[in-house]
Amino acid sequence: MSFHIEVITILLNGLQQGAIYVLLAVGLSIILGTLKFVNFAHGALYLIGTYAGLLLALDVNLTSGLLAEWGYGQLGLGLGYIPALFLVPVVVFVVGLAMERLVVEPFKNRPDTDQILVTFGLAIIVQELFRAMFGSGSLPFSQPTWAQGAPSVPFLSAIPISQWRYYVIGITAVLVLIVYLLVEYTDFGLVVRAGTRDPEMVELLGIRLSRPYLLVFGIGAALAGVAGVVGGPLNPVNPTIGNEILVPAFLTVVIGGVGSIAGAVLGGTLFGITQAILVSTYSAWAQVGLYAIAAIVLLLRPQGLLGEEEVAP
Amino acid sequence: MTLLKTDGLVKKFGGLVATDDVNLSVEENERVSIIGPNGAGKSTLVNLITRRLDPTEGDIQFKGESIVGRDPHEVVQMGISKSFQTASIFSELTVRENAEIAALAAENGSFGFKFLQHRESLTGVHDRATDTLDAVGLLGQADRTAADLPYGDKRRLEIGIALAAEPDLLLMDEPTAGMSPEETESTVDLIEEVKRELGLTFVLIEHDMEIVFRISDRIVVLNRGQIIAEGTPDEIRGDDEVQEAYLGGVDL
Repeated sequence: MSFHIEVITILLNGLQQGAIYVLLAVGLSIILGTLKFVNFAHGALYLIGTYAGLLLALDVNLTSGLLAEWGYGQLGLGLGYIPALFLVPVVVFVVGLAMERLVVEPFKNRPDTDQILVTFGLAIIVQELFRAMFGSGSLPFSQPTWAQGAPSVPFLSAIPISQWRYYVIGITAVLVLIVYLLVEYTDFGLVVRAGTRDPEMVELLGIRLSRPYLLVFGIGAALAGVAGVVGGPLNPVNPTIGNEILVPAFLTVVIGGVGSIAGAVLGGTLFGITQAILVSTYSAWAQVGLYAIAAIVLLLRPQGLLGEEEVAP
Repeated sequence: MTLLKTDGLVKKFGGLVATDDVNLSVEENERVSIIGPNGAGKSTLVNLITRRLDPTEGDIQFKGESIVGRDPHEVVQMGISKSFQTASIFSELTVRENAEIAALAAENGSFGFKFLQHRESLTGVHDRATDTLDAVGLLGQADRTAADLPYGDKRRLEIGIALAAEPDLLLMDEPTAGMSPEETESTVDLIEEVKRELGLTFVLIEHDMEIVFRISDRIVVLNRGQIIAEGTPDEIRGDDEVQEAYLGGVDL
């Protein structure tokens, strides 16, 4: 493989991995920025997205876990990937709404540590529930046959990257753009932006924030669900994936700047590409690389790359 | 018609009585100023009316209906709007967006699912925001970020935000605090203009006696949580108790 093909491959792989981080980080970031809620269960939403996607898209043959013991070893609706791509965000959006009402709302005015404890506990409960039900082994979630292999267009066909990865990048770009437009150009977005800065004053003006907050959380959850379903076929599928992706997703928010969508995109892309470069050169250092970047960014710009400095009003 | 009425209003913070049996009533189209030394309980009274504090005893009625037990946003929708003591604007948003969010609150504050529409499509909100900015003289700066406005214009925007809700009663908590003499002058002009054009009922909390005497129909004097005098500017000017307790014997 010639050098420039190799470089392009690495960059595209990085962009794709970055896209997953971006999807998670945008949701985390708007939730943290708007609701001031630290959601350590965001990875659980990713986990739910992956499993929901798998079960909606394919027929799955479970070999361990309670479901297999109870005689539900043959599971899955086998609807195909496209219906799954549309249904998973809806499913996880609804899960997100329930979570907002049952967990986030009661803990919204509690200290960060309480929020972290309750959501991290929830994340572990979800993980262990999935382990009990589906077993701890990895389940096969292959890329759809129509998206395997390089795309048959000039130039890209020479790069050994499956079409699925391009779709991941494309879907992410479209969704992030939609969220951006929603926040910048709708009444909902105006209320959310104002509420991010001064919730008390928004309430005093006569706007109840609980419904916009609910929607923000639902949107963040749906994005995590999409990350789960598009990322599922690219990684092993097992109950620990949710909590494994949580740390890079949080680091993305932190280096991008809390509440900044553009920051989440920049941070996620930076992480994805760094990781791809390290994986193909010094793979043992791939994880360390992320922490090193995070440490450097935080030393130089504590508010994150595109975060705004806290100023007294 | 009596727009606002407080009935034996008491607010205690631990052992401290901040508001002590206050019976205040504000008629429609009346301009009432509340004055009193620091710690007299002026801000507590405003916070009780806007429902940011719960009264210990007593009742508050607006348009004949008790508002104790209502949420702050409900009180706003009933028609009580407040302009704040410290410059309270959304400084990261543009001037127009500031006006729009206030207009939006008045239009559909409880938030139905209309709110996903683009702002421009809700013409009611858009027109109301434009009218408001025009009224406070900020239309020319509609697209500036609020943080970049000079201090006086920020206070004007703040009054605009309060007006955009089209309130029946406007509470103004020291609207000219921290302003230069010129800014104070133009804000007072603005308030007088608003008073003339919109026929608004307002309650003004103010330190600056000149402003109070200039724009009030009636003045209520608070001291240690109690109303010690009330009357027209002329009556208050001649009231010995007020002179003693508040004005420190200075001739006005």
